[in-house]
Amino acid sequence: MHTASWHSVGMTLDECIKCNVCTTYCPVAAVTDKFPGPKYVGPQAQRFRECGQIKSPDISVDYCSACRVCNEVCPSGVKIAEINARAKAQIVADRGIPIRNWFFGRNEQLGRIGSIAPQIANLGFHNPFSRLMAEKIMGVARHAPIPHWSTEGSFRKWFFRTPRLKSDKKVVYFHGCSTNYYEPQVGKAAVAVLEHLGYEVIVPPQNCCGLPMLNNGEFRAGEKLYRDNLAKLLPYADKGLPIVGTSVSCVLVLREEASEMLDIENDQTRRFRSALWDMSEWLRDLLDQGKLDTNFRELKMIVPYHVSCQARAHRMGRPSLDVMTLIPGLDVREGNAKCCGLAGTYGYKAEKYDIAMEIGEEAFRFIRAQGDDVKFTTSDSEICRWQLEHGTHKDCRAPIEIFAAAYGLYDLDRRRLLVER
Amino acid sequence: MLDLIVIGAGLTGLIAAHTAARAGKQVKIVTKGLGATHWHAGSIDVLGYYPNSATPVQRPLETVRDLTRARPQHPYAILDGTLSDALKNFVALAQELGLPYAGAANDGDNLWLPSPVGAARPTFLAPRAQLAGDLRRPEPMLIVGLRGMRDFYPELIAENLNKQGHRARAAFLPLDLITERHDSNTVHLASALDDPARRMKLAAELKKIFQPGERIGLPAILGLDAHAVALDDLQAQVGAPIFEIPTLPPSVPGVRLTNALRHRLRQLGVRVEINADVIGFHAEKDRVLWIESDASGRPLKHRAEKFLLATGGILGGGINSDHTGKVWEVVFNLPLTTPHDRGEWFRARFFDPAGHPIFRAGVPVNREFQPVDANGGRVYENIWAAGNILAHTDPILERSLEGIAIATGMATARSACNLKP
Ligand code: SF4
Ligand code: SF4
Ligand code: SF4
Repeated sequence: MHTASWHSVGMTLDECIKCNVCTTYCPVAAVTDKFPGPKYVGPQAQRFRECGQIKSPDISVDYCSACRVCNEVCPSGVKIAEINARAKAQIVADRGIPIRNWFFGRNEQLGRIGSIAPQIANLGFHNPFSRLMAEKIMGVARHAPIPHWSTEGSFRKWFFRTPRLKSDKKVVYFHGCSTNYYEPQVGKAAVAVLEHLGYEVIVPPQNCCGLPMLNNGEFRAGEKLYRDNLAKLLPYADKGLPIVGTSVSCVLVLREEASEMLDIENDQTRRFRSALWDMSEWLRDLLDQGKLDTNFRELKMIVPYHVSCQARAHRMGRPSLDVMTLIPGLDVREGNAKCCGLAGTYGYKAEKYDIAMEIGEEAFRFIRAQGDDVKFTTSDSEICRWQLEHGTHKDCRAPIEIFAAAYGLYDLDRRRLLVER
Repeated sequence: MLDLIVIGAGLTGLIAAHTAARAGKQVKIVTKGLGATHWHAGSIDVLGYYPNSATPVQRPLETVRDLTRARPQHPYAILDGTLSDALKNFVALAQELGLPYAGAANDGDNLWLPSPVGAARPTFLAPRAQLAGDLRRPEPMLIVGLRGMRDFYPELIAENLNKQGHRARAAFLPLDLITERHDSNTVHLASALDDPARRMKLAAELKKIFQPGERIGLPAILGLDAHAVALDDLQAQVGAPIFEIPTLPPSVPGVRLTNALRHRLRQLGVRVEINADVIGFHAEKDRVLWIESDASGRPLKHRAEKFLLATGGILGGGINSDHTGKVWEVVFNLPLTTPHDRGEWFRARFFDPAGHPIFRAGVPVNREFQPVDANGGRVYENIWAAGNILAHTDPILERSLEGIAIATGMATARSACNLKP
């Protein structure tokens, strides 16, 4: 028996049998010459990066989008994406970080600043001229689907403003920075569902999970964020409370990616990990225990479901699908596309925007193929949702919004709660 | 509750899942990665060499009869005469999937097809696109490579064919006939040839270099999704028989077969859970209740009535070993037939016709393909094993890999689900 997750990343490169399965499925290598593929930049180039050497032998690894499709298909359990992430960190350590990537890493601060005066911030940032300048000066792709600051105020503001259900059954909610500043509706839907199920929701202080920094090779800064969250949330885990998140990517980072990439597995990180849940995964667990209220109302529609690469990286099956299939009338269609292309901050970079759109085409095509009367699509990751909306001009909703609608709590069209407490 | 979980997504697992799902059973595949089918030549070997003999087999189905008499524990012997029906079923299935297969003109003979280095390999059934490469045909061959494409050397192939008395000559065409990219793998090239315009360019050049009476051998990249059309189209435009020579991995004929089977499985409602590395299971008495796969938060449980083990042998990863000489079956830790002493694993010569004893390590089974212990007692009442993990055969050496995969895949699925043949 082996526990792959705790297997040291570096060790796995010796398991590579050079079969090229990863290269076959890598969505980036499929569309550009700039990236030779996972086998070459991963297990192969890694041989030249070892031994404390400072200079990385190649920089093409920068074109890896961190989507982890390679890990998923590798028959030998090589942790290719993690090898690549570490190589990127080596490049950053060697050459410093481009200013743009520094900004991408600070999504949370951007969120906070913009939400002070969201209308002005949106206007200031989301106009063709600023976007053009951002592309020219910083290399931020002009057409990429950068989210708008929510004009209804942050999620946390709403949460603490309204009276909340008290109960013996308690759940801790991790909202992440996107939900807080860009899509507070997702957080409201989550709270509504949890309270509907009779749980008291606790929203402790928390910060960005660190994903954007880790993806851009800023390991030190990313580690600080991870440790801050650990300190803030571990006490709840130790009290036996589940910590549930609606952003699959944040949960992935907190649960596994950060500690693995940074090589800080210990008893604390393990306790933290086992308290963390993806929202749909947690609902599915209730279902398995016979405790989920399955009294859903009918939602008569076709909903194409894009399985985001981060949802797949959890290796937890398809919990959103498992729960959505219980909703009467709902025809959920699982797509097969490997990645939407945006992959964290990848598709926001000017030199990578076209690559990202070409990668996304597979997902867009799938959605278009489901017919014109499709009104909503769904995906577990906010990043995917923005990219799918950008590529298909159809609204994309989080699974939790669909659950909230099926409980009669939420208006999917207008994206708001039907009943405020 | 699922009727059957198949562990492994190689040819054995895919065929087994298909057999059960087509009969209306609820089936899921759980697999660590995508594997063997991607380095698979696409052809179906049944028996190329009798064990311990260097003389190739002429008529495999007849020789299998001798084999089953001489070796009653060989998987073919356990199949008890169902091999040829299984092969017929496979041919019918492949036809339905749009990837027709056929055997030698003299029904029952092995075909002799050129390998990627121009060696002759015996095989029983081949995809239509490989048939014109049969080395017993008299027409001289023109082997065409694309300059800049990795791992395909027409001169080497032609020279080796000449040495064996087959008339062949080599030619090169430029790679940019079919792609603008400088670095592509075989799957990318195949998908480029799905495009009729690129095929037209290739056909025009082939026409210039081939001499009447020749047949043309190309690397196996003639289309991915539109393969059947691509082949017909090229042959018609060039006016010569064209055949594919399988390449080093990723091998497109294997990828086509995998894609087609997975597509069919999706239509039948079979979920393929990839990146699900089985790390444990739970049994009560002699009944397995669930298996657990590694996941980011907590192991994921998969429950079913029956489990079918199709994880492959030492090369496929179903059997693992360490430097101390320990050898184990990775999912259920089943009893194995293994050489006792590590010193006996390998013979002195790499290409020893008797093969290396370690590759005969496998799971011994009863007449229903249920794993047994050293005394012949069934280990678990609801487990079956199929394919390359079975004991008492060395399928690589015998060239019996796909015959065993297909026939035991079908037989075990039937046995597990009580289906009539
Ligand atoms: S899929 Fe895994 S084993 Fe195969 S080449 Fe890639 S890293 Fe190596
Ligand atoms: S993580 Fe994605 S982009 Fe990077 S090498 Fe793997 S498959 Fe390719
Ligand atoms: S946005 Fe999504 S599927 Fe897409 S890159 Fe994301 S995570 Fe991957």
